Amino acid sequence: MAVRAVLERRAQPGRRRQPGRPARPKAREQAAGWAFVTPAVVLIMLFGVVPIVWSAVMSFQRNNLFSPNTPFVGLANYRQMLHDPVIAQAIGHTIVYTALFVPGTMLVGIFLAVAMNRKIRFISVYRTAAYATMAISTISEALVFIWLFDPSYGIVNYLFHLVGIPQQQFLSSTSEALYVIVIMTIWGWTGFAVVVYLAALQGIPQALTEAAAIDGAGRWATFRRITLPLLSPASLFLVVWLTINALQLFDEVYLSTQGGPLNSTTVLVYYLYQQAFGGANFNFGYASAIAYFLFVIIIVFTAIQFRVGRRLVHYRS
Amino acid sequence: MKGHWLSAVAASALLVCGLAACGTGTPNSTAGGLQIWEGYTGAEGKAFAHLLAEWNAKHPAEKVTSLYVDNDDSLPKLLTAVKGGSQPDIAYVYGSWAPNVAQIPEVVNLTKVVQRPGVDWSDFWVGERDVATVNGKVIGIPALVDNLAVVYNKTLFAAAGLQPPGPNWTWDQFIADAKVLTVPAKKQFGTAYVTPGSEDTVWHWEALLWEAGGEILNASNTKAAFDSPAGLQSLDTLRTMAVTDKSMYLDPTDSEYANLFNSGKIGMLVTGPWDLSGFPAVKYGVQIMPSYPGTNGGHQTISGPDNWVIFNNGSKRVAAAESFLLWLTATPQATYFSLHTGDLPIRQSVENSPGFEQKMDQALPGVDTFITNLGNVKQARPQLPTYPKVSTILGQMIVSVLLGKTQPQAALASAAQQVNQALASGSSS
Repeated sequence: MAVRAVLERRAQPGRRRQPGRPARPKAREQAAGWAFVTPAVVLIMLFGVVPIVWSAVMSFQRNNLFSPNTPFVGLANYRQMLHDPVIAQAIGHTIVYTALFVPGTMLVGIFLAVAMNRKIRFISVYRTAAYATMAISTISEALVFIWLFDPSYGIVNYLFHLVGIPQQQFLSSTSEALYVIVIMTIWGWTGFAVVVYLAALQGIPQALTEAAAIDGAGRWATFRRITLPLLSPASLFLVVWLTINALQLFDEVYLSTQGGPLNSTTVLVYYLYQQAFGGANFNFGYASAIAYFLFVIIIVFTAIQFRVGRRLVHYRS
Repeated sequence: MKGHWLSAVAASALLVCGLAACGTGTPNSTAGGLQIWEGYTGAEGKAFAHLLAEWNAKHPAEKVTSLYVDNDDSLPKLLTAVKGGSQPDIAYVYGSWAPNVAQIPEVVNLTKVVQRPGVDWSDFWVGERDVATVNGKVIGIPALVDNLAVVYNKTLFAAAGLQPPGPNWTWDQFIADAKVLTVPAKKQFGTAYVTPGSEDTVWHWEALLWEAGGEILNASNTKAAFDSPAGLQSLDTLRTMAVTDKSMYLDPTDSEYANLFNSGKIGMLVTGPWDLSGFPAVKYGVQIMPSYPGTNGGHQTISGPDNWVIFNNGSKRVAAAESFLLWLTATPQATYFSLHTGDLPIRQSVENSPGFEQKMDQALPGVDTFITNLGNVKQARPQLPTYPKVSTILGQMIVSVLLGKTQPQAALASAAQQVNQALASGSSS
């Protein structure tokens, strides 16, 4: 039980802080503190809170930003969502996208991170290459993927042809376009997942894996029983972070399909943008209502993830 | 202690105010110069800078400084600026936004300005004047005009043993040529169509609809009029090439078609003069759009003019902005700009000036056809604040037909119903 021994040694409590509340700072210190944070507070109010509140107000108005006439319409914008067939599609696409993108990115990320978590030649080159996907601008990424997946001239169809798979329409197909965007974004976010997992892997003390080996665990068992649980804080972080980003997917859709063909890649944020600016709709009231709807979804998702995560995540003391 | 606290807060508020440019807006004087927002790059940027320098040398008291703003993004930026009271004096605005821009209270009414002696408003093309006018009120001065014609690859036509299209050609001929020009083994297509479902998808079809003798909306702009034999004929044309013959490359990105044409992979394109400079690698010709014989449409095209719009920053600045724009769009300056950029002339007097078309064609081969084609602009898109909604519906209709998802007649009927709904709810709001 070498593993347990190591863990127990690590788990010994360190010095405890003395119980009791810290002393209240003097009034003078308090004033100085306020003076320091005021600029930041005012800036956040101005560029964060004001727009958030304003869009909340707009979601109850009919507002096109042009006309000074902005009548209060109550919940009409929110009710409109119930009868809008496109928003139902957009919600569906957002869920499918998130369900594929988040685990996909994490799987690729953990695979590459484990593969790169050892001392081999040129390892820093590999690590840089993996992170490069994060550094490349979304525009170049989208352009490269548009050509890779071009139905007539793309290399993917060429490879398919070599192994006898018929030509696919990819971004021009209503049933395939969303999956191309999933692949595109997984590629783009891989670097991020790799870096997070690599950092977490390097924080796992070798003593533990060595101890497991002494106990007779194979490589897979070590990974499954030691490494994976110790990576769980990193995994929780990635699940939350990637989900929030997936629910806000916009750039890749805007650049490659503009929500098409026939709304098959229209996701919530893209639809919201469409309602506000795209195609000169200027439906700012409705767009704000969609934004608030998305906000609630994100809050609920994140709350669930943290709740579930609390049971599954193992923090080392 | 309390005094310290307050002054710290006040100081930081001032700092933030400085950063966010709070204030009372521009005073009513031309001090500091007028500001113009435009999206010119490359040759257009150079020619515009030249004209600006010329004006500024002559009018030191009414200097104009320009700020580059990408045209696609200019409206959101303008809206934000107007809300914050920091609008520019002049901005370049897409023509399709005109009905919406006209609702901004700060936009200056130019109806009387364009009637001033020497302006000669009727010298601007009718398509331009239509788009600059919303409900009888002139809200802009034309900045750019274009139209659609057919650009074809001469080498591919010769290789296929086809005669280059003549000015009297028909859509049946276009379809037949496209079929011959399609060579799957070489990944070569007869033609291409942009399918993002945006206004770019829509206006290409609208020209066909008009040529087939159809209309988008009824005369009072209250009901859809495109669900007609003409609508069916025009959609059938597109469907034959996209679905039956597979001679049409569908481009959802709205940009790759130009690269493919320049690589000799596409035989014919319905496009505008702005694309010509992107085709240095192929020998191309330009012909006006084909017609539908037996209809009263004849050869038509569609134009997407853009406007210069003035925003109110006080009467003195408005007056200066007006004189600058009238100077900028007067015949000598418009001629200079066209000759140095290849942009179509915004005034008929520019086109008619001796030697103009030859000079233009030397600079950019084929552009003379586009200039002549300005005469084929016989109608404009409906000038309605709800047009964007109509356009979105038409975009979906066209793409669903091109992808073979819907039959033309069913697509027309369903789109007409949606458009009627959008028009009804739009007029009540």
